[in-house]
Amino acid sequence: MLHHRHHRDYEATDTSAVELRQARSTGEGTLVVALAGQPNVGKSTIFNMLTGLNQHVGNWPGKTVERKVGRHHYRHPHPYTRDSGEPEQAHHDVDLLLVDLPGTYSLTAASEEERITRDFIIHEHPDVVVAIVDAAIPERSLYLLSELLLLPAPVVLVLNMMDVAEQEGVQIEPHVLEAALGLPVIPMVATRSEGVRKLLEAVLAVAGHTYPYEPRRPTILPAHREVLTNLIALLASYVHEPYQVDWVALKLLEGDDEVHAMVEDLVPQPVSAALHDVLHRHEDAILDIAGARYEWVSRMIRAAVLRPRVGQVGLTSRLDAVFTHPLWGTLVLLAILAGVFVLTYAVGNPLQGWLDGLVLAIAEGAGRWLGQVGAPAWFSALVTDGVLGGAGMVVTFLPILTIFFVTLGFLEDTGYMARAAFVTDRVMHAFGLHGKSFMPLLLGFGCNVPAVLGTRILDSGRARLLTILLAPLVPCAARLAVTAILGSALFGEAAGIVVWSMVAMNLLVLVGLGMLFNRFLKKSEDSVFIMELPLYHLPNARTIGLYVWRNVVAFLQKAGSVILVASVIVWLLSYLPAGGDVTQSYMAAIGRALEPFGRLMGLPWPVLVALLTSFVAKENTIATLGVLYGDFRGALSTTLSGPAALALLVVQMLFVPCVATVAAMKQETGSWKWTAVGVGLLLVLSLGAGILVYQVGTAVVGG
Amino acid sequence: MLQQLLVLIAEGEVRTQRGLAEALGVSEALVLQMIDQLTSQGYLAMADSCGSGCEGCGLAAACGAQHHLRLWTLAEKGRRAILNGNQGTS
Repeated sequence: MLHHRHHRDYEATDTSAVELRQARSTGEGTLVVALAGQPNVGKSTIFNMLTGLNQHVGNWPGKTVERKVGRHHYRHPHPYTRDSGEPEQAHHDVDLLLVDLPGTYSLTAASEEERITRDFIIHEHPDVVVAIVDAAIPERSLYLLSELLLLPAPVVLVLNMMDVAEQEGVQIEPHVLEAALGLPVIPMVATRSEGVRKLLEAVLAVAGHTYPYEPRRPTILPAHREVLTNLIALLASYVHEPYQVDWVALKLLEGDDEVHAMVEDLVPQPVSAALHDVLHRHEDAILDIAGARYEWVSRMIRAAVLRPRVGQVGLTSRLDAVFTHPLWGTLVLLAILAGVFVLTYAVGNPLQGWLDGLVLAIAEGAGRWLGQVGAPAWFSALVTDGVLGGAGMVVTFLPILTIFFVTLGFLEDTGYMARAAFVTDRVMHAFGLHGKSFMPLLLGFGCNVPAVLGTRILDSGRARLLTILLAPLVPCAARLAVTAILGSALFGEAAGIVVWSMVAMNLLVLVGLGMLFNRFLKKSEDSVFIMELPLYHLPNARTIGLYVWRNVVAFLQKAGSVILVASVIVWLLSYLPAGGDVTQSYMAAIGRALEPFGRLMGLPWPVLVALLTSFVAKENTIATLGVLYGDFRGALSTTLSGPAALALLVVQMLFVPCVATVAAMKQETGSWKWTAVGVGLLLVLSLGAGILVYQVGTAVVGG
Repeated sequence: MLQQLLVLIAEGEVRTQRGLAEALGVSEALVLQMIDQLTSQGYLAMADSCGSGCEGCGLAAACGAQHHLRLWTLAEKGRRAILNGNQGTS
């Protein structure tokens, strides 16, 4: 029954199926040869080379998968025997009917291609199956071979693309592999038609039984040998040709859905129940069965393939030996980050200064012109101080941001960022933090909002909460930009290293708090994951360009919306009610109320107000300073002492996140209490650190 | 060998394909193949490397790059298989 139901698929009205059957019936001279292999191993090249124009392209019956069948006429010089026949005359003409099987990686029932391939071999019994392997990465295809060897057709292995393997330094010994596998192994370069004759000779030798074909198949582990025997006994009287009961039993044990469905149709209820019981108890048998195949593959590879020693196999391995090393990798990461900041400010600062001058000049010109055309004084002040002084000032930092994004984009596109992620994760593990927390935290460098939302990948609620609370400590692009701007205004040449230290400080605080929380909260299940490290490659200007462009646009949009509105509000608060005298404004009142705090950190009230407005959006710090001071770079560097300047940077780095992040924290924790804990923690932490830095600094350098 | 791979992954440290390959004494290509198979069988799961909330953020583009990272986590089925495997051998 099993046989018939499935056989019908092959007797569908398909000309090539008919052709196949005719080929079989012509007997002696025609051999059916199926080409199997995974995609991109040169299967089609070999097929086309052998069949030329003599091929027929259609679909597999009832499927959308392309089916190619072709003929090759071979006149081989040596006698060969077929079906144990007698040796024949010196020249022998053989017709080969070649069937190009769909590209597959294995022979599970997972895809149509895989089902077609295995069904074809089971039902049509080709005389020979040619399994084609990429000689540069033979292990990829050997798993498929291990499955092909379980089917009822002899296999000839082709090691194609020997030239590529050689270029990549992979030394593969066809003879050794042949001895290990017990079947013909033919090295080929199909693109140059090298090895064709040998392939055809091998096919004829195997078909004619003149080759000692004794394949060594993967063995099943002792743990499952008994259950397999039981299954075979259960099924023996129900499974018939062309299926082999061993194969059916093995596939059942592997959890193959298609075979399972077929067997269900086939066996009576009590047997089905018994099967269910056995299979349920061995549902993980696939791990051992497939695991044994991988062991077989790796044995074959060890026997016949010599790879260049690890560390010489190309740029990626050599670089990774350093870049993913626990110690060197961390040092490299810190050095690269320092380099990014130094470069950003070294190149960006002069440009920013120039743009700064430009915006001031425009503001001045606009003010003068508005005065001339008789615009009201408040409107003139709104344009010059509010819009240009606030949002305009933020825009002048575009060069710094652009350079920052260019360097980040560069690191990303070379493939380094994944290494940075890997190294950071290791460090976090060393400090007892949840490894998987790293991913969302990494996102935090862009923006804290996705970092908080990204904690959804953590499966334990405790780890999530912890990560959400810590996420705002990762300086987001906006916070970094503000730090960069303040750093360059306050520390000039030393800005790069100062900003780098600020980032390092934040990460240290993050790790420290993480360890602290970790002590108080119960340890959850371990985090487990594997990370793919892409190959290093030369960065692509277009990719980086797009990355920078997207970020710059997002930044400008923000400057034109949230920051613009906030700038105007800040301006209003600084303009009203006195009509221009900032010292008498609402803003001044708020600032003065905070002044006692400020004094502890050496910070004047406009700076405190600027920090407060950063709650709306981080960049507002700059906008507010622009509104309140005009040229704040000059003003700040003269008003703030060294310790106060450092205190400002520290407070700014640790200060509460923007309102969007707080909203995300509320949404993700689902608790106002935890949101308040998170925000309160940062408030206390930032002010505490600011006071500490200023007080200690003043005590040391004497203010 | 697949069981061994699962056990290695379950040790808790983040692993790269290369690290796993060295631990198992096989090539990276084979490790990737095993990971793919374990994923398709439901023992490992591919993690979504970015939360779904990026729309809310003006600077979401800054993290766009991370979308390319492929990460795998141990799925429930994998965890169970390790437990069963341990019971089987002890």
